[in-house]
Amino acid sequence: MDLVLPEFDVVVVGAGNAGLMAAIKLLQAGKKVLVVEQHNLPGGCASSYIRGRFEIDPSLHELASVGSTAKPGSIRRMFDELGLDINWVPVKDCFRAVGKYSDGSPMDITIPSGKEELIEVMEKEVPGTRKKMEKLFRLFDEVNAGLAYFSDGTNYNIRYAIKHYSNMLIVGSHSCKIVFKALRLPQKCIDIMSTYWSYLGVDMGRMSFLHYAMMVSSYMTEGAYIPAFTSHELSVALEDKLRSLGGQIWFNCKAMSFLFDNARLSGVRTVYGDIKCKYALANVNEDIVYGRMVPKEIVTPRLRRLSNARKQKYGARMFTVHLALDVSREALGINDYSIFMLGTADSETEYRNIMKGFDSNNFSILVCYNVANPSASPEGTCICSITTFGSPVDWDNLKPEDYAAFKTKCAQKLMTRLKEQTGIDLFGHVEEIAIATPWTFARYLGTPEGCVYGHETADWDDIISRNLQLGKDYPVKGLKPIGAGGPRGDGYSSAYQCGELMAQMVIRELEEMDGTSSEARS
Amino acid sequence: MSGKLAKLKVKIRNFSLKDMLDFKNLPLRRDKAIAAAEDKDINTSFPINSNAARLHPSVQKMVVSRIIERDGCSARTLVLKKEDNSPAAWFRAGQYVSVKMKIGSSYVTRPYSISSSPKLTKDGRIFITVKENPGGFVADFILTELKEGDSVLVSGPEGNFYHDRLRDSRNVVAVAGGSGITPFLSMAYAIRDGIEDFNLTILFGSRTEKSILFRNELDSITEETDKVRVVHVLSDEEAPLFEHGFITADLIRKYAPSDYSLFICGPEGLYRHMEDVVKELGLPKRLVRREIIGVSGRMVSSVSDTPEESYRLSVIQGPYRYETTASSKETLLVAMERAGILAPAKCRSGECGWCRSKILSGTVCIPPQNDFRRNMDKQTEHIHPCVSFPTSDIVLEVPRGDTPDA
Repeated sequence: MDLVLPEFDVVVVGAGNAGLMAAIKLLQAGKKVLVVEQHNLPGGCASSYIRGRFEIDPSLHELASVGSTAKPGSIRRMFDELGLDINWVPVKDCFRAVGKYSDGSPMDITIPSGKEELIEVMEKEVPGTRKKMEKLFRLFDEVNAGLAYFSDGTNYNIRYAIKHYSNMLIVGSHSCKIVFKALRLPQKCIDIMSTYWSYLGVDMGRMSFLHYAMMVSSYMTEGAYIPAFTSHELSVALEDKLRSLGGQIWFNCKAMSFLFDNARLSGVRTVYGDIKCKYALANVNEDIVYGRMVPKEIVTPRLRRLSNARKQKYGARMFTVHLALDVSREALGINDYSIFMLGTADSETEYRNIMKGFDSNNFSILVCYNVANPSASPEGTCICSITTFGSPVDWDNLKPEDYAAFKTKCAQKLMTRLKEQTGIDLFGHVEEIAIATPWTFARYLGTPEGCVYGHETADWDDIISRNLQLGKDYPVKGLKPIGAGGPRGDGYSSAYQCGELMAQMVIRELEEMDGTSSEARS
Repeated sequence: MSGKLAKLKVKIRNFSLKDMLDFKNLPLRRDKAIAAAEDKDINTSFPINSNAARLHPSVQKMVVSRIIERDGCSARTLVLKKEDNSPAAWFRAGQYVSVKMKIGSSYVTRPYSISSSPKLTKDGRIFITVKENPGGFVADFILTELKEGDSVLVSGPEGNFYHDRLRDSRNVVAVAGGSGITPFLSMAYAIRDGIEDFNLTILFGSRTEKSILFRNELDSITEETDKVRVVHVLSDEEAPLFEHGFITADLIRKYAPSDYSLFICGPEGLYRHMEDVVKELGLPKRLVRREIIGVSGRMVSSVSDTPEESYRLSVIQGPYRYETTASSKETLLVAMERAGILAPAKCRSGECGWCRSKILSGTVCIPPQNDFRRNMDKQTEHIHPCVSFPTSDIVLEVPRGDTPDA
C-alpha cells in the first residue's frame, strides 16, 4: 500500500504527560499536529490496567500543584482551561513516616498538609522548633517568590533581586543538607523533613534546596490530589481533547529516527513511513533521542558531553507491588494514604543502601488508594501498592527464567516488612497481584534502565541549573526532547508543565521561522 | 553562609557575596561539569532493556517444526520453533500466546495456552494444541491445511493464568475440560522440572476414555512427581478407575485438601456449570481463577436473538482509511480481519485491551461478561473491538496491528 503521508507543523513523538500537553498547546495555537505513540495507550506512566474486578494505577502516588476549587493550583487551572472536568480527589495528609530517627529513637509521625498544621505537629514531636520551622516556611515563600521573578520570562534586574530575594540567592546554589544545617534545625526535625527525598529520588546531600522548597511548599499550601478514575482519566481526557482540536494520534506507531535537511529537522521516520514536519518534540529520554534517533553528525559535542557527564545516572527505577485485596482497608487497619517506611532517617545512607541492591534496601512506601478515594475499588475491597526503588545491581544480570521468582521474593519481603513495621498484614487477602520492576517500565516505556524520572536532578544538573541553561541545552534545530527528564523535573505535574513550556518555545520559534520565510519571499 | 542564615527574617539585607556569586555561577558550574566529560558516543544499550525485550518480545517468528496428531481427540499439537533457533521467550506456566497466520488474504490471530514446559524455550520451542471447533475458521485451517515447515507469528507470553505464591494457595485444584487441559499440562511439567513449586490436583473432564487428551503425558508426569495428581472424569461412559459424570462440588471436596485455590479452564459449558459449583463450595473470589481466552460461545450467543444486520464500517488506522461492512453477528475485530485489515489482537475475549480503539461514530453491543474496559474508556467511547458487535454504521479509529515484518 503506497500512500503519501500527510505533512504536519509539529510531530510529537510519545504520548506521555508532556507530549499530550505539548500537542494540545500547539493545536490551540493553530498548528497542525500529529502525536505518534509506540504503545497502544496514551499517557506513558499515566495509565491503568484491569485485573479481574479491579482497575489499577501503575504509577501515580499523588499530584502536586492541583489545589482546591477555591484556590486552584497551576495543574487544576491547566485542565480547567482546557475544559476538562477531572474528578480530582484530595489526599488528606501528606504522609505518615515510620522508622527510626538518627539517634535511634522510634519515629512514627503523620505529616499533615498545611503549613500551620505541620508546624504544630513538629512542635509536638520536637519541642522548641516552632520559630525555626516558621523561618523555614518564610524562606520557602521567599524562594517561591524569587523563582517566580526569575522565571516569568521577562528580563530580571539583579539589584532588584538582591533587594527582595537575597535569601533565595544565598541558598540558591546549596543542597538541602547544607541549608538545613545553616538554619540550625534540630536533627530530628531534619530527619522528618528529609523524608521528602524520595519524591524526587535524590538524597538531601545532592538535592537543590530551591527544588525542595518549591515541591514541599506546593504540597503544604495546595495539598495533593489524585484523579478518581486512575491516571488513565487524565490521559484519556487529554487524548480526546487532542482529537477535538483536530489533532491526530497514532497508536502502536513507533518512531525510529528524526530526519534532517541541512542540519534542520525535516521529518520523523515511523513504522508507517517518513512524515514531514517543521518541528518535532520528543517525549523520549534524551539519551535515546541523541544516542539513537538523531544522526551522529547532528549531535553536538556538548550534547555528547552532557550525556557522559550525567554518567547514565537515571533517577528512580521503581519496584512496585500492586495488590488488590479482598477486604476493606478499614479491616486491614490502613488509615493513612501513604506510609513511608524508612530504613534510616539519613537520606544519603538510604540512597546508598538502595543502590547496593535489594538485600540492603530497607525503604518502602505503602499507598492505599481507598483512603483518599473510597470508590477506588468495589465495596469490601481495597487497592494498595508497596513501592521502593530498584537498583541495576539486581536487575542488570538477572536471567529471564529467574525473573518471576526474584520479583516475588522481593514483593514478599516488602509485605513482610510492612507487617513488622505497621502491623498491616496483607497476606491471605490478595485477590490480584502485579509486580512492576524496572524491566516492566523498560518494556512499556522504553526508557533507559526502565527509569521513570529521566536523569537525576542533582548537583550541577538540578532543575534550577537546567532552567538557567535552557538556551544552551537544545542546540538541534527543530527538535526538543521534553518530559520528566526536562527542565521542570520529574513527576506528572512537572511533566505537564514541561510540555506547556516547550510548546510555547516551539510556537515562538515557528512564528519566527514563518516571519523570516515570508520576508524572504517578499 | 551559616552565620547569615541564622539571622533570617522575612527581609534581610545582610547577605554573603560569595553565596550570591555561587548562585550566579550555577550555569558556569554546569558548563564546567559538562566540559570535563568525555566527547564520546552516547550509550543506548542497557541490560535492563534488553532483558525486558527478551522476556516480552512483541513478536516471535516461528515455524511449525512438528505436528503431533491426537488420534481420537480431533486435535493436533503444534511444536513451534523459533525460526532463527534462538531461545523462545520464557513464560510462566499457564500463559498463552497469540498466534498470527495468513489465511487467504486475511491475517487472523488466535490465543492458545502453551502446553509445554517453560524449560523447552531454551532450545526455542513451545507447544500448543488445537482442538476441532465446528465452524471454526482458524481451527479448521490448522487441523486440515497447516503443514510442518509453515511460518507463524507468535506473540510474547501473555495472560495472568498462572500460580502466584503470594496470591494463590500452595494447593491448586484444577478443573479442566477438553483442550482446557493445556495450561495445566504446562504447570504440571513446570512442577516436574522444578520451575514451579505447588501441589496440583487436576480434575480432568473428558467424554470417553479414548478421547482423553495427553493421557500418556499426564501419566508419566504423575509417575515422576508426587506434587501432581490427575483424576479423570468421564461424562459419556463409566469405566473402572475413572470418576463418572460432571465435576461437582462433592467431587472437588473428595480430592481437595483443606486449603486450596481453584483454577478453571475449559469450554463455555464448563464455566457455566462451574458457576454453581463455586457457589456451592463457598470459595472467596481470590481463590478462584478462570482462564478466559478463547471463550467466545456465550459472547456470540448474547447477540443471537436479534436478526442479522449488515452495517458500514469505516476504519481509520494511522494514515490509512478503509471501508468495509460488518455483520451484527460478528465482532468488529472479525469484520476487520475479514476485510484484510491488520488490527491488533491478542486475547480475543475483551480482557487484555490490546485492541483498544476509539469509536468516532456509531454504537456497539458489548456482552457484559466480556466488558473489561477501563472505567474512563466506558465513558469516552473507547472499545475493545474483539468483543464489540456493531448495532449501527461505525467509524472506528484503531491502533496499528502487529505486522508480519516487524
